[in-house]
Amino acid sequence: MLTTIRSALSPGGWAIVILAALSTLLVLSRPDTRRSGLDMWVFARPHHEMYVPNVESWNASRDPDLNLYLLSLPALERRMSSGFLSDTPVADLIEADVRVASRAFTGPLEDVGFLDLTDRIRESGILEEINGPSFTPWTSRGRIFGLPHDVHPVMLAYRADLVEEAGIDVSGIETWDDFIGAMKPLMADADGDGRPDRYLLNVWETQIDTIEAFVLQAGGSYFDEHERVAIDSEVNARVISTIATWVAGPNRIAVDAQEFTASGNRLKLEGFVVASIMPDWLGGVWKHDMGDLSGKVKLMPIPAWEEGGCRTTVWGGTMLGIARSTRDPEAAWELAKHLYLSEDLARQLYESNGIISPIRRLWAREFYDVPDEFFQGQAPGRMYIDLAPSVPHRTSSPFNQIAKERVRDALTRLRQYAEQEEMFTLEELLPEARRQLASAHEDIQLRVDRNVFLKEDSEGQR
Amino acid sequence: MNTVVGRSRWTPLIFLAPFIVTFLVFTAYPLVQSVNLSMHQTYGPKTSTFVGGGNFTQLFGDPLFWKALGNTFLFALGSVLLQLPLSLGLALLLDRPAVKGRLLFRLIYFSPSLAGIVFVALLFGPIFEKNTGLLNVWLNSLIGFDLEFPWMERHVMTGLIVAGMWMYVGFNMVYFLAALQNVDRSIEEAALVDGAGPWQRFRHVTIPAIRPVAGFVVLLSVIGSFQLFELPFVLLNNTAGPDNRGLTIVMYLYQTGFEIGDLGYASAIGWSLAILLMILAIALRLLLRRYED
Repeated sequence: MLTTIRSALSPGGWAIVILAALSTLLVLSRPDTRRSGLDMWVFARPHHEMYVPNVESWNASRDPDLNLYLLSLPALERRMSSGFLSDTPVADLIEADVRVASRAFTGPLEDVGFLDLTDRIRESGILEEINGPSFTPWTSRGRIFGLPHDVHPVMLAYRADLVEEAGIDVSGIETWDDFIGAMKPLMADADGDGRPDRYLLNVWETQIDTIEAFVLQAGGSYFDEHERVAIDSEVNARVISTIATWVAGPNRIAVDAQEFTASGNRLKLEGFVVASIMPDWLGGVWKHDMGDLSGKVKLMPIPAWEEGGCRTTVWGGTMLGIARSTRDPEAAWELAKHLYLSEDLARQLYESNGIISPIRRLWAREFYDVPDEFFQGQAPGRMYIDLAPSVPHRTSSPFNQIAKERVRDALTRLRQYAEQEEMFTLEELLPEARRQLASAHEDIQLRVDRNVFLKEDSEGQR
Repeated sequence: MNTVVGRSRWTPLIFLAPFIVTFLVFTAYPLVQSVNLSMHQTYGPKTSTFVGGGNFTQLFGDPLFWKALGNTFLFALGSVLLQLPLSLGLALLLDRPAVKGRLLFRLIYFSPSLAGIVFVALLFGPIFEKNTGLLNVWLNSLIGFDLEFPWMERHVMTGLIVAGMWMYVGFNMVYFLAALQNVDRSIEEAALVDGAGPWQRFRHVTIPAIRPVAGFVVLLSVIGSFQLFELPFVLLNNTAGPDNRGLTIVMYLYQTGFEIGDLGYASAIGWSLAILLMILAIALRLLLRRYED
C-alpha cells in the first residue's frame, strides 16, 4: 500500500503536494490579527475627523476600545449588505445614510442586521429628547434600528450679491409663485446670446433627492405612515407637473447644477443659477468646495407651495446602528450614546459641518447663534433650528430608493410629453402626470406585493 | 511493472483533482444552486421561500426586464452593425503594405482596449457632460451647439455605443487583420488575372476567406454586449440613468441580487440571459453554416 502511495507521484509531484500542505498549515497557524474591542465604520470624512479625538479619549478611559474605520459609502454599503445578508463579519457600530440603512429593512424583521433599539431608546428617554421626524427613516415596521445623527432641515440659498444688485426685495416672498415673480428680472438676456444670463433655481428632472424634498415639502410622499405605496397622490402629481413647467418650455426657470460635481459648482460660482435648496449639511460642503462664494450667499426659508404652507423640507440623514452580530451590545450602546448625545460633539458637528443636532434641549445653545461670514453674517444654525420642528416625516421603506427612481422616470417622461405636445402649463400637464405616477405606483406595488417577508411581518403586526 | 501500473492509475487523477474540485465547488455547485435559487424568493442566502416558477412568471411581466433586454439588444446591435464594419475597414486599411507606419497605427487603434472598462467610463463621463463637457464645448465653438444638451440623459445608449466602439474597434481589428493575413494570395491574384475589380475581389475572395473569423467576432461581440455592466454602471454613476435608459440585463441582475438581496429573482434573470445567449449562439452558428454551405 505504502509502495503504491509513494509511487503514485514522482518526487517532484510529492514536493508540490508537501509544499501545498505546509503552506496550508502555515496559514492556518497564523494568529488572528483582528484587533480586540469594538469596530465602527463611518462613511463621512468630516465625521471621522471629528470622532478621532473623542474616540482616543474614550479608549484612554474606558473598555473595550473602539477601532474607527473610514470607508467610502459604496464600500460601506456593500460590506454592510453582504455581512447582513450572509452573516459574515461587519463592524459593531455602523454609521449609515438613509439610502444605505434602508437596504437592511428588505427582509423579515428578525433578519434586519441592525439591533432593535426601540426598547432602549424608549427606556432611556431618548425618544422624547430627540426631534420626532429624525427617527422615521430608521424605523421599520414600528421598530427603531438606529440613533439619529441629525435633522437636516432645508432652506433656500440664493446669490444675495446678484439679488441685491438687481434691487430685488426677498422679504415679501412666501410662495414659489412669489419667488418666480420677484426673481424673474434676473433671467434677462443682457448679453444678447439668445438665452437667459442665468436661471432662478437649481432643480432638474434627474435630481431624485431634490424632487423628493419638494414632494415632502408639499405634503406628499412615496409611502404612507403604514409603509404602503402612495406614489399616485394628487399632491405628488401637482409637484412633478410644476417641476416639469420649471425645467421645460417658455416658462423655464431651472437649470441642472448638481451638487458634488465640478460642472455644477462652476454654474453656481459663475452665477448661472441664482438659488439652490440647501440642507444644513450642504452649507459645509459649499464652504469647502466653493470658498469664492463666501459673502455672496444668503439663506431664506424655502418658498411654500401655497400661502401658509410648509417653508422647509428634509434632505439626507445619517444614523448610528449597532450590528445584531456585535459581541458586546451593551458597550456598543454606551458608545453610541457617547458619540450621538454628547453636547460637545453636537457643537463640533455644527461648527465643522454646519449640521444641527437632533437633540432638542441643545437647540437653545449659543453656538447656534454665531454669525457666519459665508452667509453674509446670518446665523444659519438658528435659522435651521427655527425650521426643524416643521421638518416633514419620512418613511423607511426599503423600496424608497426605487420609488424615487420611478418618480424621476415619471418626471422625465412628463417633460418629454410636455415638449412633444408643446404643453407647458400645470393644468395641461396634470392628467399626464397622474398617468405617469399611476404607472410608477403600479410598478412599485408589484415589487412590494412580491416581497413575502414584508407581507408576513405586516400581517403579523395586524 | 506494478509500479508503472499504479502510477498510471493514480497520477492522472491526482493531477486532475485540483481542477475537478475547483470545477465542482466554483462552477457545478453554483450552477445547480442557482437553478434552485431561481425558484425561491430570498433575502440573502440564508432566508428563502419557495415560489416555484413565480420568479419567471414575474420576470416575463416585469417591464424593467423588457426595458433592460431592449437596451441590451440595442447595444448589441450597435456593436455589431457599427463596430465590426469599422474594425474590418481599419483592418483592410492597415493590411495594405503601402500604408506607412501601419504598425504604429495598429498599436494606436488597439491600445484603447488595454485600458479597463472602468477607466473608459471615467474618461467618457466628462466628454458627454452638459455645460462643461468636451463634446458640447467643442460642438458649441464649431456650430453654436446647445451647451446644455444632455447626452447622458437623452442618448444614453448612443453614448455607450460610442464608448464601446472606441474601446473595442481596435481589438476586433486584430482578429480581422489575422484573418486577412491568412487569405490565400494566389486566389486573389487569380481573380485579378480574371479581371475582377477591387470590390469583386473583396466580395468573392476576401469575405468568404475571413467568414469563419467574422462569425467568431460577431459571436464574441454579441456575447460581450449581452454582458454589458461596468460601462453604464460607472458612466451613469451607479444608476441606470433617467427612465432606465442605461439599464442592461446584467445591471438589473446586479441591482436585484446585490442591492435588494433577492438572489432568487436575480438567478431567474441570470438563467433567462443564459438561455437567450444559447439561443442566439445557436442561431448565429446555423446562419453562418448556411452561408458556408
